[in-house]
Amino acid sequence: MGDLVQAELRKTTTTTLWWALLIPTVLIALGGGLLSGLTGRTFVEFFSSSEAEQLSDALGVTPDQWKFSLLGIGRTINLATMFPLIFGALAIAGEVGTRTITTTFLTAPSRVHAMAAKMMVYALWGAIYGLAIIGFTALGIVLTSTSGQMPDAGGWAMLALVCVLSSILMTLFGVGLGALLPNSAGVVVLLIMYFLVIENALQLGLRLSGVPETAVGFLPNGSVDGLTGSVAVDLFLADAGVVPEEGVYWLRVFAGAGGAQAWWLSGLIFLAWVAAAFGGGWARMTQKDIT
Amino acid sequence: MHDGSGLIAVQNLTKQFGSVTAVQNLSFTVSPGSVTGFLGPNGAGKTTTLRMLLGLVKPTSGTATINGRPFHQLGRPGRVVGAVLEAQGFHPNRTARNHLRVYASAIGVPDAQADQVLGLVGLSTAAGRNVGGFSLGMKQRMAVATALLGDPQVLVLDEPANGLDPEGIAWLRNFLQSFARMGRTVLISSHLLAEVEQTVDQVVIVSRGQTMYYGPLEHLRQQQQRRVFVQPSDVGALATALREAGVQALEQLPDGRLAVSGVDAKQVADTALRAGVSVYGIQEEQADLEQIFFRLTSGQFVGHAPAPYQQQQGGWA
Repeated sequence: MGDLVQAELRKTTTTTLWWALLIPTVLIALGGGLLSGLTGRTFVEFFSSSEAEQLSDALGVTPDQWKFSLLGIGRTINLATMFPLIFGALAIAGEVGTRTITTTFLTAPSRVHAMAAKMMVYALWGAIYGLAIIGFTALGIVLTSTSGQMPDAGGWAMLALVCVLSSILMTLFGVGLGALLPNSAGVVVLLIMYFLVIENALQLGLRLSGVPETAVGFLPNGSVDGLTGSVAVDLFLADAGVVPEEGVYWLRVFAGAGGAQAWWLSGLIFLAWVAAAFGGGWARMTQKDIT
Repeated sequence: MHDGSGLIAVQNLTKQFGSVTAVQNLSFTVSPGSVTGFLGPNGAGKTTTLRMLLGLVKPTSGTATINGRPFHQLGRPGRVVGAVLEAQGFHPNRTARNHLRVYASAIGVPDAQADQVLGLVGLSTAAGRNVGGFSLGMKQRMAVATALLGDPQVLVLDEPANGLDPEGIAWLRNFLQSFARMGRTVLISSHLLAEVEQTVDQVVIVSRGQTMYYGPLEHLRQQQQRRVFVQPSDVGALATALREAGVQALEQLPDGRLAVSGVDAKQVADTALRAGVSVYGIQEEQADLEQIFFRLTSGQFVGHAPAPYQQQQGGWA
């Protein structure tokens, strides 16, 4: 098994795809971090100004305790993990496309071995992308924000944990779907369309049709977004003092956790989606005739 | 585990893709120490059979084993069987050496093996180049190098001569023969008998997914009657003399020559001498395996001759 893992690792490091996708990942993370920091800073400056002081007092807002930059982090992670998702999707779809899958199956004791080795290597890559995302998001926030707008060490650790988790799960979701639909262009277009357009339309439709808000948190993007978004909202609320219920709703929507369950439950829900995609892809690849 | 015999056994193998029967009840065995040709026209089911043997395609029924085991029970298949299936199967942006190192680690052999097989197929100087820039012949050599990585006991090649230049074909021929002489097994498919005639010892000839002939090439050659073409001064006199000598299979060719079957050139010349007929030319026909092959495999896809061209009348002229 160790041999196969090494082989799969070499497959990923001997082509340029990993850094070709890491560049936009890092740019989005950095950009999202800068924007989140700026938003938080603008907010503090606005409510701290003498004109808004009365408004702040009336609303019960203590501006230096409202870490608005936190809310942008969840959104940034969700957008940046699109790239590890694509990286994962090309794991098997790419091999079917270049026909290297034939040699892969000819040199592995079984297809299950080959798939398992791939899963381990792509989980590792998911973690690497996740660390890059949280690292550059943090860098962006540090550059544009004041220290009062930032989470404490425990908060950062928690954000890093869910970011890495989210990135690993997104990568594996891609691997599964790429096995289920082994066509590079097709699966990449489908995933981008789904995560950026289709599910957002679906969420809007659900909300408009009066389905309970929590339904959204059970959709793939709703749940993976909830994994990071819920943590961001939790960290925000921990310091923000009293926030009216209506306010919490909008905070969650803003952070990308609208309708989502608690972070760990959201993670488990998305894990179920990953398992479904992976199981389907696994079944397809073990049965497929390689002609 | 496998028995290490080097034996390939295909038994009652059948594969259906939807309504199409690609392979029908195919049986043959391939022994170590020889090169076996797997012959048939395009679409005869050769590739499907080899892919079933290699565990890439699931048979509808029947079995295909290597060393007494189906492919997925071989344990470390890369050490037992090497396969050349197509001149594809490379990431265009991965270098030749890196491609081989990927699979060297999958098979569990040291990285040095990658450079060694590159040298063996004559691609050492191209080791650092991306395979996407290779010619078809170079890719074919790369496929052979990949198959040899695990120093396998059995080698399966599907139309390996495609894209190879004459030099490459000669190299492959020598290589396969010396590989088989080491007591290993070689199964090589082709749609051209002439292409492998000098390489193989045994042949399996398939057509329409079924076995048409299976055995040594020599037996196939002997099935063909020898013919002697002779150009005598007097065809009638020689024909009479041959008939008197008991030779009945005679045929006069349009060019004035006489085709005599079932005897050798010496016998014909001696008969002519005794009959006082001069012989201007005599020629013994080599057993034409291609013809036998064609007879065995013809009729799968019968094309029609093109219809005569008919000038359209009228029109714009």
